[in-house]
Amino acid sequence: MSQLAAFIEEKKSVKVKRQQKPILSMTHVVYGYPTVQDSLDWMKRLMQEGVDFIEVQFPFSDPVADGPSIVAACHKALEQKLDVETCLSQLGKLAKGFPESRIVLMSYLNPMYRFGLDKLAKRAAEENILGLILPDLPIEQAATYQAACKAHNIDPVWLVTPVTPPERLAMLASQASGFLYCVARSGVTGHSVHENKSHESKAKQTSLDDYLAQIKQHASAPMGVGFGLRERAQIEQLIGKADIAILGSALLDAYNKGGQEEGIKLIKDLFH
Amino acid sequence: MQSENGFYGQYGGSYIPEILYSSQQQILHAFEEAKNDPTFLAELHKQWQQFSGRPTPLTYCANLTEHFGGAQIYLKREDLNHSGAHKMNNVIGQGLLVKRMGKKRVIAETGAGQHGIATALVAARLGLECTIYMGAKDIERQYPNVFWMKQLGATVVPVTTGAQTLRDALDEALRDWSSSHEDSHYLIGTSCGCAPFPEMVAFFQSVIGDEVREQSVAQFGQFPDRLYACVGGGSNACGLFLPFLDDKEVEMVGVEAGGKGLELGEHSIRLSHNLGQPGIAQGFATMFLQDQAGQLQETHSIAAGLDYVGVSPIIAHLAETGRIKMTYAMDDEVIAACTLLLKKEGIIPALESSHALAGAFKDAPNLPKDSKIVINLSGRGDKDIFNVAKAVQDETFPQFLTDYLAAYSTSHADHQEQNA
Repeated sequence: MSQLAAFIEEKKSVKVKRQQKPILSMTHVVYGYPTVQDSLDWMKRLMQEGVDFIEVQFPFSDPVADGPSIVAACHKALEQKLDVETCLSQLGKLAKGFPESRIVLMSYLNPMYRFGLDKLAKRAAEENILGLILPDLPIEQAATYQAACKAHNIDPVWLVTPVTPPERLAMLASQASGFLYCVARSGVTGHSVHENKSHESKAKQTSLDDYLAQIKQHASAPMGVGFGLRERAQIEQLIGKADIAILGSALLDAYNKGGQEEGIKLIKDLFH
Repeated sequence: MQSENGFYGQYGGSYIPEILYSSQQQILHAFEEAKNDPTFLAELHKQWQQFSGRPTPLTYCANLTEHFGGAQIYLKREDLNHSGAHKMNNVIGQGLLVKRMGKKRVIAETGAGQHGIATALVAARLGLECTIYMGAKDIERQYPNVFWMKQLGATVVPVTTGAQTLRDALDEALRDWSSSHEDSHYLIGTSCGCAPFPEMVAFFQSVIGDEVREQSVAQFGQFPDRLYACVGGGSNACGLFLPFLDDKEVEMVGVEAGGKGLELGEHSIRLSHNLGQPGIAQGFATMFLQDQAGQLQETHSIAAGLDYVGVSPIIAHLAETGRIKMTYAMDDEVIAACTLLLKKEGIIPALESSHALAGAFKDAPNLPKDSKIVINLSGRGDKDIFNVAKAVQDETFPQFLTDYLAAYSTSHADHQEQNA
């Protein structure tokens, strides 16, 4: 079993023992937003509050899978010069203080491609960052990246969606090791200006429960669910059907509204 | 040009969010079938002819030829398409494909607004819902085009993220498509984006070169010695060049936008001069203008249609293998070329196309007198009236605008009074 999957299993069993909700929390932070130091402070606070995972997004100028909240944060962050190497070192140093939590790194392909995918896997592993998420790298083009991750014993995290064809879903699920990122709905992250346009397709989509059950048939790796989660009922619906609930734009919106305190309040409302 | 699994050498491919996989596959299969279906091709040619006025002429320029004293100069008149640019060839093709796939809505990105208008025209004709994404800054600069898109029934959405130009509009169109893929088609305007878009757009644009093959033989008994096209996204260049790829004696020159200078942010030169770097963004691999950290950068050109950070993977590959020679023209050279064509030949060229003119005019005096060159006049210049007026420092234009505005508000007020 991969290091990441093992960590998830162990955390879940601890939660069961402590009679807590048996679902792990993954909270998203944009590195460098609004400044590098602010983002590192925010990650530290989140881990002090006991979140299980932080998904750190290294900003890219053209984040096409993200909605308005995260896009704006990435562009704000890029007003500074950001550097992948510095980011990894800072994350590694931060993570050392919090053995109960893990950091996974998310970015888009281009900045990572420029940094070097092999170097990325090597440096991430050295900083105990056990998972990498690159939403614009399809598995068909990922042979080198997969090999690099394998060589350094970390996990590439693949995404599946409600419109992924069944045979492709089976293929992606069977390749997943650390965890499988299950996108909850069509569209981009967070509240989207485009949301109203997907209404006609809802009838065709299976319910979230059926969708997750279908994935579970194929996936031996843990399952994380994200995109559009912002209410307690949504998290509770996932219990027993998924392993990790991923909180992205909703947390960023709360942070923008009232800083760290507002963000922590949201996490407590959702997970405790 | 046939790709290898969507790749042209190291460029191209399909790097899109997983949510778009099924829709991308659907387009891939629909295009594969359509391009081999005689009924579809017949309809395509019929619409090209009846709606856009094809074939466009190949015009001999006697005065320019004499002026430079070198190569015989011909223009491929894509400016005479309906909508005034080659963009029409592609939107007609993709529009028919949308009907074939049974989708009801099209999304498009636009920079200057030419592709936006072309898309809105075809959407109106085919009865499709139409949403155009356009950078808020481009909307300010190109309002007349926005006006027509709206009159044609399209929804124009201002994009306020990033630099608020074409690149951001393209990102936003992709985001819309991620939500609306089941009933919407992303009608991309150039031979960029994920597979099969580069190949598909190049296929629809190849009507340009196909016609030049016949026209050149009919008019001067041989294929042209050299072809010139401006390269923004690369669709008009693909259209003229690709049908001649296997004719090794036909040379090809692509002209990029040198803008104001060679500093990053001042130009849109991706291929010549080693200014771009390989990258993967906006769904495909190509040469992008980016910094060391892989962040895409701002670009500039006096021609909004060339002001793009990436370039067609087909052109990037053919430039790398040396089949196409790449060069660039600066903003002031472009204005000079535009002015010369106006005065010598009575043709008003788009500033985009004026880059191809500028590139060709540099070479023409040094080419043999019996050599024949064809320059792709990809669009007409009516849309550039404000930019050209400013560039040639026309003294009357500002006064005209002031007077027009004064009269406009009065008549608007009168109108409101009548309504009240």
